[in-house]
Amino acid sequence: MSGPFVHLHVHSDFSFMDGAVRLDGLVEHVHRLGMPAIALTDHQGLYGAVRFYRASAAAPVRGIVGAEVVVEACGVEGSECDQPPGRRLQVPAPTGLGRAAAPGFHLTLLARDITGYRNLCRMLSRAHLRDADGGTGPARSVIPLSDLSRMSEGLIALSGCERGEVGASLLAGLPWRAKKAAERLCRCFARGDFYIELTHTMTPGSPRYVAALTDLADALGLPVVATNDVHYLRREDARLHDVLSSVGARQPLPSPLGRPNAELYLKSASEMRRLFAGVPRACDATIEIAERCDLDLGLGTFHFPTVEVPRGETPYSVLSKLAWRGIEERYRPVTPESVRRVQHELAVIEDLGFAEYFLVVRDVVDFARSKGIRFSGRGSAGDSIVTYALGITDADPVEHDLLFERFLNPARRQMPDIDVDFDSARRDEVIDYIYRRFGSDHVAMVATVCTMTAKSAVRTAAKALGHAPDRVNSLSRDLPWVSARHIREVLATYPECRNHPLKSPEYGLLLDITEQLDHCAMHLGTHLGGFIITREPIDTWTPLQWAAKGVVVSQYDKDDVEALGLVKMDILGLRMHSAISEAVSLARERVGEAAVPEPFLLPHDDKAVYSAIAAADTVGMFQLESSGQRNLATRLREDTFSDIIAAISLFRPGPLEADMIVPFIRRRHGLEPVVVPHPGMGPILRDTYGVVIYQEQVLQIAKAVAGFTLAEADSFRRAMTKDRSRAEMESLHGEFVRRACALGSERAAAEEVFRQLEGFAAYGFNKAHAACFAVVSYASAWLKVHYPAEFAAAILNNEPMGFYSPRLVLDDVRHHGIRILPPHVNASDAGCSVEEEGRAVRVGLKGLHRMTERLLCAMETELAVRPFDDLADFLRRTRAEAPAAESLIRVGACDGLGVTDAGRPPTRDELLALLPELKAVLAREGPAGERALVIAPSRARPAQDLSHVSGWSPVRRLGAELELLGLAVTCHPLEFAAVDLKRRGVTWARDLPRLEDRTRVRVAGVRERAQTPPTRSGKRTCFLTLEDPTGLLDVVVFSDALERSGETIVKHRCYIVDGVLQNNAERGLAIVAEDIAPYTVRSEHGEAVRLRRGVGAAPLGPLRGGAGHTDEEEWSAVEATSAQ
Amino acid sequence: MGRNTEIRQFDALPAGQPMDLLSAHGALPVIRELLRTPWVRRASDLPSGDGSGKRAEVAVDVEWDGALGRPAAFLYKGKRHVVDTVVQQWAVESAWWDRPRAVSRRCFRVLARGGVWDLAYDRTREAWLLIGVVD
Repeated sequence: MSGPFVHLHVHSDFSFMDGAVRLDGLVEHVHRLGMPAIALTDHQGLYGAVRFYRASAAAPVRGIVGAEVVVEACGVEGSECDQPPGRRLQVPAPTGLGRAAAPGFHLTLLARDITGYRNLCRMLSRAHLRDADGGTGPARSVIPLSDLSRMSEGLIALSGCERGEVGASLLAGLPWRAKKAAERLCRCFARGDFYIELTHTMTPGSPRYVAALTDLADALGLPVVATNDVHYLRREDARLHDVLSSVGARQPLPSPLGRPNAELYLKSASEMRRLFAGVPRACDATIEIAERCDLDLGLGTFHFPTVEVPRGETPYSVLSKLAWRGIEERYRPVTPESVRRVQHELAVIEDLGFAEYFLVVRDVVDFARSKGIRFSGRGSAGDSIVTYALGITDADPVEHDLLFERFLNPARRQMPDIDVDFDSARRDEVIDYIYRRFGSDHVAMVATVCTMTAKSAVRTAAKALGHAPDRVNSLSRDLPWVSARHIREVLATYPECRNHPLKSPEYGLLLDITEQLDHCAMHLGTHLGGFIITREPIDTWTPLQWAAKGVVVSQYDKDDVEALGLVKMDILGLRMHSAISEAVSLARERVGEAAVPEPFLLPHDDKAVYSAIAAADTVGMFQLESSGQRNLATRLREDTFSDIIAAISLFRPGPLEADMIVPFIRRRHGLEPVVVPHPGMGPILRDTYGVVIYQEQVLQIAKAVAGFTLAEADSFRRAMTKDRSRAEMESLHGEFVRRACALGSERAAAEEVFRQLEGFAAYGFNKAHAACFAVVSYASAWLKVHYPAEFAAAILNNEPMGFYSPRLVLDDVRHHGIRILPPHVNASDAGCSVEEEGRAVRVGLKGLHRMTERLLCAMETELAVRPFDDLADFLRRTRAEAPAAESLIRVGACDGLGVTDAGRPPTRDELLALLPELKAVLAREGPAGERALVIAPSRARPAQDLSHVSGWSPVRRLGAELELLGLAVTCHPLEFAAVDLKRRGVTWARDLPRLEDRTRVRVAGVRERAQTPPTRSGKRTCFLTLEDPTGLLDVVVFSDALERSGETIVKHRCYIVDGVLQNNAERGLAIVAEDIAPYTVRSEHGEAVRLRRGVGAAPLGPLRGGAGHTDEEEWSAVEATSAQ
Repeated sequence: MGRNTEIRQFDALPAGQPMDLLSAHGALPVIRELLRTPWVRRASDLPSGDGSGKRAEVAVDVEWDGALGRPAAFLYKGKRHVVDTVVQQWAVESAWWDRPRAVSRRCFRVLARGGVWDLAYDRTREAWLLIGVVD
């Protein structure tokens, strides 16, 4: 009963809902069991193959890559339904979820070598990408025998589990069919590469099943091999697998797959040998197969796409010429430093063999430039002068002390990663170009693996346990975005979970399952903008499949792609680019083409821009508008471009966690002295007042103090930022101090430098990334300062974007003295537009509830002919749908159209009463007929406010605007309650800066954002951004106040906050809340103002925003992330 | 229907029988012949009182053979039954989410003096049970 054994049929959670083995623990577990190898055979894909291969390569366990595929029936001639009833075999139902699931017979394939791997990739890609024509061809995701036989080289096949045709035929009492299927499958593979798979699942029928398969194998002269069809690592994990498989099949427990016991776990060699005591050769075969499988994926080598170069040139020579030409254009005059850096970088690029990669990226951005598509490089690529010379990035690396080694470290041969943001609105043009340029057979999108969080795990567990959909929703509601394994802690400590139903003891089992589901792979998603580009056909590198959004996606995520050495390009869309382009275009329309320079090429010396930033007037500015950044601006008071870079870098999780801001601010304002422990650090940290903020500074300090080369320094920094053992840290420490002392430093000074680096290295920010962002930030700030109306209109037209809701953006532009003009059918475009020589913004109609694209087009066409005379004219010419017309009337877009018998335009109530009658007449008469329809208006409500053309009171008008547009066009809602708020002693936002620090204040505002970022103390703190008619209020709610007020914050939109004002140079301006009470906004006449958008967003309008969120009573919605 | 299907699934030839049934064939030819027939079913599947077997859930004491990983003997109605061979093993795990209905057992069909017995180790009760007998 003893002897080795290798499991050759193992499903991980990458079998998507039909496997509970976690790859991170698999290889270690196998090693502990003393097995020499292990195979991974997920359903219909290699989703987890690369990470599994890497894990096994790092352990003394051989990883065998394979898949359990679905093949067409081959035991009978013709289709199943042509067979007489007694000869038919029920096709196994799909197992798994999404593309992993396909109805058909299973077959286990193992890649013997790289040829087998490539064939498996191609075979899976062909199956997944085949159209689901439902015709005579095989169904989608099912592999036909023709493909199997054509692409079987390098593959070893096992006949499959009980859902394979051989096994299923025997179980159904059709031994002749099993024989036929085995013969045909066997013929698809080379001699000795096809095995009959024996699976003993410890059911009463298992011995008979094994015996029958063994006899069949003997009769056909085929070898047998034992497997356990592993779906979970340990017996106790069977429950998890049951939950996953039942949810995958969209049924409550018991799982429809009908697995009767918990025996599909990763059994030890002795257990497997005991199970197959009668056929020891089946166990021996596992070893033999494992020894035959020797796949080498060649990790560590890079595979660049084809770059065409002129005859006689090489990629390097072409890149060099382009770089030198770029330097001539970028530097006038060319400086010795820039020449030295280009020479150095080109030498490193040549040495590492990355010239092709740079040319590929340059090719793509050149296309964008030629088409006028705005773009900007970002990330550590900004550290390179070559990318700057090629026009990929826009921040000068010489001017900003950016270090190439942070981007490409010659000591660590890693694929460079150049991220480029493109104008969102035109990103598809770039993508089209990539497909055309490199060929659709060589391009695919990168996948993402969606894993379970607390919310999704609770939903999964609840569904499996048979709870009704309403109950599932109520159980998962109000849960924050945290790991599932923290669910009990969250329920116990989070104020919004105080009365959560999951706290009931009856949900103990559900919580147990939820915790176990933590981080389990759920399904494959599509990366926002990652593309793989390959030289060879891409399906020889990665299996492909259709994504839900209709694009071809790889089965690998970005880490897998990088590990394989393939080129990945992030073609990301940035709405700020779209907004900047549109603002420039609107401004040039108004003042002329030449009057508005290209904002990315501006010199960074405009005082007005820095004044606006320092005054925290930053709503809409890229990366500078968040409440934290505004607070920082009041303390930092930026007045140079370097300050913008510092601000972007400081307000990041790392610097925040390391509390770098306070010393930076104190030293900047002379409140504490700037001291550095080593004179070599002085020039490096001069701009940051002795505080290590940037990763580049760590490199420079290691070079200056300890004499490291920049490449060594980068390795040193990376080593310090990883999780290190004490021994590794001691080693780094010893090396640094030894080399520093050798250069003449005092030991104490060297120790102190190391201590500071140790403290800050993990938290520093990449300066190049911040510098690239700062170029965009400055451009957006310049537009906001000089063309506020155009900038606001552009921001509103490109929502959702940024930190704030469209309502707040509109209020902000109003604070700048720009008039807000209401939407009108005779004046509004689809988007917001600028009128009155840049002194007014006209609200557009595309965000209106129930507005349709067709109606917008019809309005534009008709308006070009002549304005609309009255409602009947509008309806006849545009054929407006009644719901859209009703919205237009209610929001005031038809105000002033036509004249009634009373000699005045009809009120909105009269128009609403008229609408159905007009629609009925138009339906009867068609578009032809009298130009003017004269219909006596129906009886309507008497006008509330005769001073306004609408006849509606201001409160009612505002209510309609908030409900239908999500915007406050008439005025800020709290203006109606000004008298009441004054009586209550409320201070407006504009008056706060004049009050003393630590003054007790009472403020009132409408909630704009609420964030609970991680804090150093680990306690939960809520940063609440409120808005009153005069500006923004930043409220800090510490954990004790949050405990009391958490529910109020979530359940209400408008509050009165009592607290203490914090107003000092060190901490900036904020209110520390002590009590938060809900406030209902009412006019002087007692009319309540509804603050929520009463309906979902329009199909063409903003999808997000404080006033328009459909799910706003959840923390997840309240904390909706800004799409930066 | 059920029985006919069962019969058809497994032909009556020896080749269609489980291998481990034959491990004790030298000593127990009659039982071997009995087990070779395709219509033998688990006693625990059979309704009680039909004459061919009966259901039972009687706690029994079992002596465990750790070396072979199987029961060596069990005590039933005061009589010790030595296990000659294990005919079959199977496992049952069901309804774990519904505690009253949950079943988690490792079952052994054994040949022992007096017939074929189904013993089960119940993991939820942590006890050995005699769950069926074929006389």
